[in-house]
Amino acid sequence: MTTVLKTEDLRKQFGQLTAVDDVSIEIDDDKITSIIGPNGAGKTTFYNLLTGVLEPTSGSIWLRSGDGDDLADVTDAEPHEVAQAGLSRSYQITNIFEGLTVRENVRVARISHDGSRLDFRSRATGDESVEADVEELLELTGLTDIADTPCDTLSHGEKRTVEIALALAIEPNVFLMDEPTAGMNPTEVTEIVSLIRELDEDLDATFVVTEHNMDVVTDISDRIVVLAEGSILADGAPEDVLTDERVTEAYLGSDSV
Amino acid sequence: MSATDTGGRVSRFGSAVAEGWTRERFGLLGAVALVLIALAPPFQVYLFTDFLVVALFALGFNLLYGYTGLLSFGHGLFYAGGAYGIAIVLRDLGPVIADVVGAGISPLVTFVLGGVVGLVLVVLVAVPVGWLSVRLEEIYFALITLAFGMLGYSLIIQDPAGLTNGTDGVIVLLGTVDLGGFSLRIGGRRIYYAISAVTVVAATYGVWRVVNSPFGTVCKAIRESPDRAAALGIDVGHHRWMTFIVSAAVVGIAGVLRAGLASVASPGLTHWSTSAIAVIATVIGGATYFYGPIVGAFIFLYIRWAISRFPALEAYWELFFGALLIAVVLFFKQGAVGGLLLLRDRLFGDGDGGGGGGALNGGQATAATDDGAESGDDNARADRGDNS
Repeated sequence: MTTVLKTEDLRKQFGQLTAVDDVSIEIDDDKITSIIGPNGAGKTTFYNLLTGVLEPTSGSIWLRSGDGDDLADVTDAEPHEVAQAGLSRSYQITNIFEGLTVRENVRVARISHDGSRLDFRSRATGDESVEADVEELLELTGLTDIADTPCDTLSHGEKRTVEIALALAIEPNVFLMDEPTAGMNPTEVTEIVSLIRELDEDLDATFVVTEHNMDVVTDISDRIVVLAEGSILADGAPEDVLTDERVTEAYLGSDSV
Repeated sequence: MSATDTGGRVSRFGSAVAEGWTRERFGLLGAVALVLIALAPPFQVYLFTDFLVVALFALGFNLLYGYTGLLSFGHGLFYAGGAYGIAIVLRDLGPVIADVVGAGISPLVTFVLGGVVGLVLVVLVAVPVGWLSVRLEEIYFALITLAFGMLGYSLIIQDPAGLTNGTDGVIVLLGTVDLGGFSLRIGGRRIYYAISAVTVVAATYGVWRVVNSPFGTVCKAIRESPDRAAALGIDVGHHRWMTFIVSAAVVGIAGVLRAGLASVASPGLTHWSTSAIAVIATVIGGATYFYGPIVGAFIFLYIRWAISRFPALEAYWELFFGALLIAVVLFFKQGAVGGLLLLRDRLFGDGDGGGGGGALNGGQATAATDDGAESGDDNARADRGDNS
């Protein structure tokens, strides 16, 4: 067991509002961790802090980068630097390159990972090692059949899968999934859950998931962290956390004081 | 011989014709057309040269707009940069160069050197201007580039360094190459057309290579979603900056050609109304297609010429373009190229959906099942080249 991601007293304030309130957490590589919480609990802000989109008010973020076990300080890193350091994300609201085909989407990610972004002399399709990696990833995520389809014509479920393929293409150490089943029908939910399990077994990446669908959460999580009003309310194994009184209270919104 | 065999042969034949016509033969046809145009009456040669230069201007602009998603309203600055670069070299260094290389060949040497100086000047300007501009997006990017363009306009008019000759601009005299019996007037309509055609074709091929390279692929991703690109480890600001510089350089080449064609480098080149020509040509032609700006430039120049044939209408030619632009934006969001592809798909309906393949794609699609995945893949790639 190694720690792959760590925050220390991470805090984000928007004016008077404290969206993330001194959160300290360590994510281990041998578990799928779910971060749950009612709307407005600070999950998305927390993700945006981790990925460098927002700058923390105080506190620090540490990420295992490269192959070593050492943690690097990424508190002040830009989003692309965080991604290069080994943290990848998928978005709650699908965020893929809609105008490009599925294969081109994955190719962009592989070009980024390959470091050939500034190569304007060769053909984008010309690098055989990149193309082989693209094919492998399409196969892994089951997208081979629709590889040449423009993404704006895909179904919602397929777009969610492209979202995952993109995030995986940069070979992350940590993969933050923001509500992978958002807006999906039950069949698609089942498919995506089995894909996540499969990927977790096959790949080195450590999965961190936020999710509203409690069935999915109990199904895939080894550990659940509950955020409420910006701070950690409960943290532990699913059976302990979900029976915790404070958690049910937070979810039912009982603010009767 | 069974029916399937015949079908197979017909489709293979269809595929061969299609392959040939989409690449080499169209290229050859284009080259023959370019040569034939040189034989047209002088004014038509001039008009076509004008079209080529504006096409390159719009093509360079579209690298930033259609491919990277940044609308610049100040690319006239780089158009003027190229023009003034060569104009000033011709004016101030012409005699010096003649002393060094001899009077006979010196006009050509000066022209080439002036072009290189124009290009270098544009890059030197684009580096800081781009660095500051790409910090902004959308309307703010359009406004800051507009401001830089107009800053260039007032600097050229005020002429603090005594180089640009204020509102009159710098006269461009290309001169005549004279090598014992063989003489060549560089500014001659047909000679200048030949120089422009070769330059524009070469530059267009260069831009095409750029948009189909890993660099260009990343540009398209940034256009689609900058924050997603950043989350994949792409330094979006830096990539936009680099694209800005490449785009400006292409426009600079067009500016160099413009100076020789107009025989003057004038301040109007960096006025916002000149920058707008690139925008209008690109929108009319279709920003999402590689050839969109070229088709748009063609429509722009030839319609303007057609209107000029009717003196009563000529005063209102801008009004006409206003109306055309409104029609395109409202009804043909993909521009003329998008409209043509749609029309072709309607007429030859091949169920291709993507609209990339073409009238001849019916044959290709059949052949793909016949010849295996390889050729199918090739088709798809060619389609994307057309489309993106």
